[in-house]
Amino acid sequence: MIQAEYFWLNTFLLAVGTLLIRSSILMFSSKIIISDRLKEIFSFIPSAVLPALAAPMAFYHPGTVDWLFNKERVVILLLATVVAYFSKKMTTTLLFGLVFLYLITQITYS
Amino acid sequence: MIPIIPGIIPFGAVMGSVSSEVGLSFFQTVMMNMLVFAGASQLAAVDLMKMETPVIIVLVTGLIINLRFLLYSAAYSPVMQKSRLLSRVFNSYFLTDQSYAVMSANEHRFNSNDEKIQFYLGAAVCMFIVWQISVIAGFIFGNFAPKSWALEYAIPLSFVCLLIPSLKNNKYVTVALFSAVTAVILKPMPYNLGLITTATLSILLGIYLSRKKRVI
Repeated sequence: MIQAEYFWLNTFLLAVGTLLIRSSILMFSSKIIISDRLKEIFSFIPSAVLPALAAPMAFYHPGTVDWLFNKERVVILLLATVVAYFSKKMTTTLLFGLVFLYLITQITYS
Repeated sequence: MIPIIPGIIPFGAVMGSVSSEVGLSFFQTVMMNMLVFAGASQLAAVDLMKMETPVIIVLVTGLIINLRFLLYSAAYSPVMQKSRLLSRVFNSYFLTDQSYAVMSANEHRFNSNDEKIQFYLGAAVCMFIVWQISVIAGFIFGNFAPKSWALEYAIPLSFVCLLIPSLKNNKYVTVALFSAVTAVILKPMPYNLGLITTATLSILLGIYLSRKKRVI
């Protein structure tokens, strides 16, 4: 359970910070120039951050499927990456991952 | 905007269902979406808050994820250079991956900056409405979904979906692989500092890989 004060403080600060990022260059558009090099560096942010968020969530989950060494979420995440690459569709990837995880855990239990 | 909507709905639904799973109220969920309006950072923030991570770590993590909006802000600045300050701030609130993608793909169709701004606002408001409805639907559905459906697993799956389009060449793939492995190794760091450390190291790797080679 997330404490209310803690939640609102985080949300408020994140909202203000995000709006500042979004509006920063637009507000001072005539005075700031972002170099191509800086743009290239910014373009690495998704590749640097998103795997860092996703990988530990899957790896450190206490799995239940023995024959996959309790790492079924890691295996399915790798397969889902392939599905996402070829399908380019979020719905397809989410459905694949969730249904596959459900089936593999249910089969193991039964 | 219509081709992008199918991608927004599941992501919004994940946000809503995860919010209900961690015990956020309907009001908190809706307000967070209205105030922050940045899905990936919201999901990361909710996940960190669930683990009672210090505020500074939640904030820095969320803002690092949102730093990419600087790029979009820079891309729009020539179009909005002559708009009033209030109008620029208002427009910037709606900057998202999707509105940027739609605007970039259609910018050439318009002659004046006013037309471009009108098109951008139309697309962005449409995106905003679809996002909010999807989150609410996900929240309601998430409250009824059985635990065995493991809906929280949709978070890493969503991040994978957001990651794939950004992998433009081998340098980006190398950075992504480095980031995944380093994040797993550094996860036990105190205060969830592993995430910020990994992101910083991965960006530094990106800077190193993309440096210009000197010709001797």
